[in-house]
Amino acid sequence: MAVSVDYVVRETASNLWRNRLMTIAAVLTVAVSLSLVGAALLLRQGSANATGTLERGTQVTVWMQPTANQQEIKAVGTELAQLNYVVQPCAYWDKARNFQEEGKLLPSDVVQATTVDEMPTSYWCTPVALSDAAQVVRAFEGAPGVLNVTEPQGAIHTEETVINIIKWVFLIVAIVLIVSASVLILNTIRMAIFARRREVSVMKLVGATNWFIRVPFMSEGLLQGFVGSLLAAGVVYGLYSFINHAGSGKTTSNLFTAMHMTASEMILTNVVVVFVGMAIGSLGSAVAIRRFLDV
Amino acid sequence: MIRFENVTKTYKGSTVALRDITVEIEKGEFVFLVGASGSGKTTFIRLLLREELPDSGQILEAGRNIVELPKWRVPYLRRNIGCVFQDFRLLPNKSVFENVAFALEVIGRPRHVVANQVPQVLDLVGLSGKRDNLPSELSGGEQQRVAVARAFVNRPLILLADEPTGNLDPQTSQGIMQLLDRINRTGTTVVVATHDEVLVDKMRRRVIELSNGMMVRDQARGVYGFDGAAQQTVDVAAGGMG
Repeated sequence: MAVSVDYVVRETASNLWRNRLMTIAAVLTVAVSLSLVGAALLLRQGSANATGTLERGTQVTVWMQPTANQQEIKAVGTELAQLNYVVQPCAYWDKARNFQEEGKLLPSDVVQATTVDEMPTSYWCTPVALSDAAQVVRAFEGAPGVLNVTEPQGAIHTEETVINIIKWVFLIVAIVLIVSASVLILNTIRMAIFARRREVSVMKLVGATNWFIRVPFMSEGLLQGFVGSLLAAGVVYGLYSFINHAGSGKTTSNLFTAMHMTASEMILTNVVVVFVGMAIGSLGSAVAIRRFLDV
Repeated sequence: MIRFENVTKTYKGSTVALRDITVEIEKGEFVFLVGASGSGKTTFIRLLLREELPDSGQILEAGRNIVELPKWRVPYLRRNIGCVFQDFRLLPNKSVFENVAFALEVIGRPRHVVANQVPQVLDLVGLSGKRDNLPSELSGGEQQRVAVARAFVNRPLILLADEPTGNLDPQTSQGIMQLLDRINRTGTTVVVATHDEVLVDKMRRRVIELSNGMMVRDQARGVYGFDGAAQQTVDVAAGGMG
């Protein structure tokens, strides 16, 4: 039997209005929990983007002593050429090149105080994976003629760890909140069922089908989840705009720039958020209907 | 229209509500179901509505065995059975019109049917002038009339009434009985469970008496108490039918 749309809309609206305080509580809990879920998902995407961006720029530099002889320089070069975890070939910068690059970075008075001969030579290698950088460091630190081995993007590890921790905290808090949102929706539906027990008994008496009786309650839960998830989608959009705005026009060493996200990544996140919201709503009302609506 | 075949119903705690009841009610009959409290009248009604299932035996309504009816068909069965209770069971926040219309709306009847049927049935029960009042603004008798209107608005084949006059004074009760009588004359089978002796005696309709779950009397033009003068008493123990 067809359940008329008109009837469902009317009943759902009056149920929600009658329980408006509980409804607001449930909707807000859904919104907060899904904002966190969405933020965690977005940060996950952002940190993946950041890792990719930073990885592309990551180079391990083997600095030779300025006093290292040709033999030692060559030995290190040969050894680097045999490594399978760095992208071959590694670039070799002689003293002149390093002096030139230093000139771009340091104030001129410092540069003037040094001579080309005092500059070290260096090898610039790109590891295949970010984690391989540490291996290069271990292999060459303290080798004959080697001054030191630097991992210029070492800072990104800290940043990634921070993002990771935030991500997990968000996810755990979000899961707790999702559970409480479901319970709140369950409770609003239970109260709605209780408030309408007379109607329900009359409906059963005059021969309304079970689905006809259930649908208004189900749509109520679904609507609460949906509205909550829309609010959360707004928060996710705000976070997305903030990250992209804060990172615009800066170099990739800026974390927000490195995290730059595309609109489709944000939309995908929001699709997940809305989907989860509606799932929470249906789950809460389905459990309430099973347990408290005897049809 | 209604046939019980060897129906037995036991509740938890081994209370026997109905014991081996066999009875037939024809289409268009008006039947009183009498007996003391706990004699099984309400169980009889609940079985007809399929709010309960018997432990054994068959219940046929309009040729269909409702014991074997799948659960999802039960609402469709109830659309053919109107029911009225002692406590009216009206919705307090809906007007008279809305209460009656509700019964049609929730079974998916289109709006023009509602707009057509409800005034008709309110006219039948004599409440056309009070269609916009809330139940709390009506007397007990008027509330029961609304309940009857709600039960009858879908033109059911059977109208059941469980102590419909239990909360009403004798004069109002008589008005309700006349209303049920009028509905019966439209061809609807009416079954009234009651212990209102005066009314039963006055109406002189078929009386089925239950006692401790057993059918002790089935009399075609009976009165509440046993009437020795009535010759159509059926010997239930012999299993005969009136």
